[in-house]
Amino acid sequence: MNAKEVTTLIKDHVDEIKIKDECLFATTDKQRYREAMLALRTQDIQHIFTITGVDQGKTVEVIYHFDCRPALLNLKINLPKNELRIPTITDIFPGAILYERELMEMFGVKVEGHPDPRRIFLPDDWPDGEYPLRKEWREKTK
Amino acid sequence: MTFIVPIGPQHPALKEPAFFRFEVKGEEIADVDIRFGYVHRGIEEALQRRDYKHDVYLIERICGICNVVHTTTYCQAIEQLAGVEPPERAKYIRVIILELERIHSHLLWLGIAAHQIGFNTLFMLAWRDRERVMDLREIISGNRVTSATNTIGGVRRDVKPEHVPTILRGLDELEHSTKYYIDLFNSDRTILARCTNVGILTKDDARKFCAVGPLARASGVDTDIRRDHPYAIYDKLSFNVITEREGDVWAKSMVRLREILEAIHIVRQAVKEMPIGPIRIKVNLEIPRNEAIERTEAPRGELFYYALSNGTDSPERVHVRTPTCANFASIKRMFLGGTVAEIPIVIWSIDPCFACNDRVALVDSHTGKTFNLSLKELRKWRH
Repeated sequence: MNAKEVTTLIKDHVDEIKIKDECLFATTDKQRYREAMLALRTQDIQHIFTITGVDQGKTVEVIYHFDCRPALLNLKINLPKNELRIPTITDIFPGAILYERELMEMFGVKVEGHPDPRRIFLPDDWPDGEYPLRKEWREKTK
Repeated sequence: MTFIVPIGPQHPALKEPAFFRFEVKGEEIADVDIRFGYVHRGIEEALQRRDYKHDVYLIERICGICNVVHTTTYCQAIEQLAGVEPPERAKYIRVIILELERIHSHLLWLGIAAHQIGFNTLFMLAWRDRERVMDLREIISGNRVTSATNTIGGVRRDVKPEHVPTILRGLDELEHSTKYYIDLFNSDRTILARCTNVGILTKDDARKFCAVGPLARASGVDTDIRRDHPYAIYDKLSFNVITEREGDVWAKSMVRLREILEAIHIVRQAVKEMPIGPIRIKVNLEIPRNEAIERTEAPRGELFYYALSNGTDSPERVHVRTPTCANFASIKRMFLGGTVAEIPIVIWSIDPCFACNDRVALVDSHTGKTFNLSLKELRKWRH
């Protein structure tokens, strides 16, 4: 699907869409993101590149990167730091299983319903509540 | 009754540390669990503390084998953030080095795959040929492995015209031996017995678990970033995307071997068509807030970078998704129902490159329960 087709497909489930070549950046929220993803699945889009977390100060931005061939969709959800939980998407995109584990240990985002919520890269004796890619951690370890 | 067979983190069958916990019923594998993190170095966090130029050197050390593809992806992402285009000649030089890297990586893979199935003569032959590629890389970049070719805005060293005949001669030799390896994989009884119908990944599973690179292509998924989203000058070059249908270890080997031939073909074109001109431009590295996605086709598959700038000379965030990380979701499917003897070659068939630290796992032989020990506990045990 090209950028235009993707826009028509998901426009009801997202706020704003920025298009740069075949690369789309769209913002959505916790209520609507699953509808957007289910809409993608109806068009046989199965490939998720990865999930990126970005600490934006008061919020953690979670970006899901999908391959819509040739378009590339980046679906952003902002989660406030006092409410860092989001349901898993592994039921829709099974390939996201490792990326959600990375998101949990690096940003402290609780992925609800994840089939295997263990740590992935950090050691077992890594202290609880320390998330290395959060800004607080960067300040603390300067 | 199932037994637990722990493999790793240090094991002769693994070339890098990872922990595999196999549950076996007699010879048959019933379940597998993998743990990573033994070589996790916190590079993504370290990238945020350095400036864009320092980051090139750190990125280059994410992976020893495919360092150029990492720096190329990073530099392309930063060039995209800054809104600049590297000179045409620099793009050709990047492609030449990238494809030489693919040849070297696939030959390295072939050698170890042969070693995993006990075919040590082929291991020696493949690594002899790999030396030829390393020599070519040294001629161009001055280094055998970590080539330090890329910089933001172009490349650091030019390909000199007097080196072109040597490069072309080296490619001829490589083509000759690769064709011999392809014949060997089609005819040798040992290879056919150890590789066919082993570690099969179906096309549906490959798509479902988002497999990338030669692993996906061996299962019939027609995907290649170089053709689908051309970067550098891949849109000006002609090459085929190699796919096989079987999805077994043999198909994965064949995809890689035939890709060596395509890579040779690409380097020949690039060397011939390379325009004359500058090789780098100056880039202002105080980049205003912007974000960029960059994808490239690494020897192991699609490599993904996300970069976010914040107006300073350091990135706000760089996220790296390596092809091995993408391929681990599908590895379970390849083991289930297989036998213990297949484990080394099936692990190696995805060409794993573990770039990510944890501790020892102990398995109680009476109950089958696994215990994880922390470094502190381990130190206590020493006394």
